Amino acid sequence: MRIERKSWNDPVLVATVAPLALVMVAFLLVPLLMTAVLTFQTTQYYRLVWTWDLKIWTEVFSKPHYWTIMIRTVAMALVCVVLTVLIAFPAAYALATRLRTFKTQIQILIIFAFLTDAVLKTFGWILILDKNGVANWLLMHVGLPPEMLNLLFTPAGTMIGMVYNLVAYPMFTIYLSLVRIDRDLILAAYDAGASRVRTFFEVTLPLSRPGLYSGAVLVFVLSLGAFLEPKVLGGGTSPLASELIRQSFETRVNWPLGAALTVVLIAIGALMLVACAAFALRRTSATGRSA
Amino acid sequence: MKKGTADISSTIAAMKRRSVLKGMGGLGLGLAAAGSGFLASRRYASAAESLNYMCWEGYNAPSIIEPFQKSKDASISIDLITDSAGGFAKLAAGASRDFDLVSSDSPWIQRMGPAGFCRYIDEADFADQFAEFYPQFRAPFEPLAFEGKATGLPTRWGWVGPTVNTKFDKLETWSSYAPVFDSAYKDKICLLDWGDWPIMPLALYAGVNPYEELDAAALEEVRKVLRAAFKNTRAIVADLAVAQKGLIDGSFRALIGGGTYATSALRMKGHDYIQSIVPEPKNGLKQGIIWMEATGLIDNGKNSQIASDFLKYIVSPDVAKQLAITEATCNLVPNSKAEALFSDEEKKALQMDYMWTAWDNSQFHTVAPNIDDMLAIWQEELAAR
Repeated sequence: MRIERKSWNDPVLVATVAPLALVMVAFLLVPLLMTAVLTFQTTQYYRLVWTWDLKIWTEVFSKPHYWTIMIRTVAMALVCVVLTVLIAFPAAYALATRLRTFKTQIQILIIFAFLTDAVLKTFGWILILDKNGVANWLLMHVGLPPEMLNLLFTPAGTMIGMVYNLVAYPMFTIYLSLVRIDRDLILAAYDAGASRVRTFFEVTLPLSRPGLYSGAVLVFVLSLGAFLEPKVLGGGTSPLASELIRQSFETRVNWPLGAALTVVLIAIGALMLVACAAFALRRTSATGRSA
Repeated sequence: MKKGTADISSTIAAMKRRSVLKGMGGLGLGLAAAGSGFLASRRYASAAESLNYMCWEGYNAPSIIEPFQKSKDASISIDLITDSAGGFAKLAAGASRDFDLVSSDSPWIQRMGPAGFCRYIDEADFADQFAEFYPQFRAPFEPLAFEGKATGLPTRWGWVGPTVNTKFDKLETWSSYAPVFDSAYKDKICLLDWGDWPIMPLALYAGVNPYEELDAAALEEVRKVLRAAFKNTRAIVADLAVAQKGLIDGSFRALIGGGTYATSALRMKGHDYIQSIVPEPKNGLKQGIIWMEATGLIDNGKNSQIASDFLKYIVSPDVAKQLAITEATCNLVPNSKAEALFSDEEKKALQMDYMWTAWDNSQFHTVAPNIDDMLAIWQEELAAR
């Protein structure tokens, strides 16, 4: 295969890339830069005062409660990633292998659930998790004590909502990876005497990693910004970073503080992603060497 | 503005002619149809005068807005706020140049004075409106004053105290906030996540008047009382419907920080066993809080007469009555003449027989000098929970 080298002097290349680059600069880099600049400002009587001041950063680094909430947010996001992947992988695997007859119908159902507004879905869970809700009603009718489940307004309630709202992402990315696996590779493994389990762990799982990783990254990033679930299903008693940021911007009308916390959250997310990318690359190259 | 409408119509007509001439009849008709629909929907946008209005829900009801638009040939653009502080911040950030008037919580209307974008009320011009108010709200009305000048007119009010389901608890139990800290009520308390609203009553219970300048010791007392309250708190809920549902089914035995704003609509729907009361004074400190919404004019350089007219309109008895009873919430209004317009059922839902008792035992919710310190403490204690 001939690789065509392109130069940045090529006007066609520049013209092709420029629109996307402009969009990225205007709608991603500039707002991020403005947010960062905002962190060095102060407020006086709910109005921004344009100065260069480290007061907000001093507050962020001197008050441990901001970091408590940030750590809680990252922990919840990681748990959410694990749970969504654990649920999504078997579902995607079944969809790609065992349920091919009903594939379209199931995909339509998942897409419907995925496209339904998150507010509706989250409030819907109240009807299920409430002490007089569907879950307790079902448990009571199978002979368990009434009001056995007490998940509403707990961190577990938050997690249920987050997993439910985000599970479709890894389901689709993993499914796309699974259907692209060459069936002959699996058959070759069987021919070589590998069991189904060994084939899964040595052929299917490694080849589905791109979908698994991309799904995990999507869930992680979206979990960091989870807002509705901790507020509605978690009862607001264990706030996550997005609520902290909202409170700073809206309730306290402290925009520099809100901006600083936003920058912290973005930085934590970016660092985690870089670490995960490095880990994934190391795994991939290690797999390549051993092969 | 009328001229603008004619210009658009002729342009569309010309476009239609050209479209036909160029053999693009379908597209032309489509444009004409879209254009006529657009013009119909923008009828009020082509009105003689326009008004940009920032307000809470209820103030934007068509039954309130449309008669004014018709009678004044005016168009009103609404910007709904869901957070008083956020609305104020928007104005302070520069939107005050675009808006003519705002309806928000009274401390935020009062704050427009020192913030420098308030168009003060000429009390002589509004003498007829003040004369219709209950004596408690007449000029000079201190909670809305800045440097002796009125920043707005009161439009809705109520009180903040424990909201109780009397099917589960006697009202006497809640003659103080003590049950909030009682282990018998563990996981049965709901705090309303409405900014400073839940903080103020708890501070009062701690013996701290949050509407005065607070020193470090007083702020420490606020910290302790919030920490203790969080121990029994099942949820901190921003959504009124969720809080009301929990109160009705007994998941929550009391809502703290909502008061009549969380109660009256339920009572209107027949849940008259739900009540908001004001606790007894504790060590001489009144434990109830009177909250109030107000409407103020914004100094955007236009000095718009129609904004003043709308302000007079919104506090008039008929409109005040509509403002009192909305789908989402039901609240008291300061216009005494509106009282005669309420049915007995509505008066009962609004707990009108109790309103002056509540008034007498309450602080007025006004600008709290240390509010940011208290909100920071709230954040810190919630994180540490």
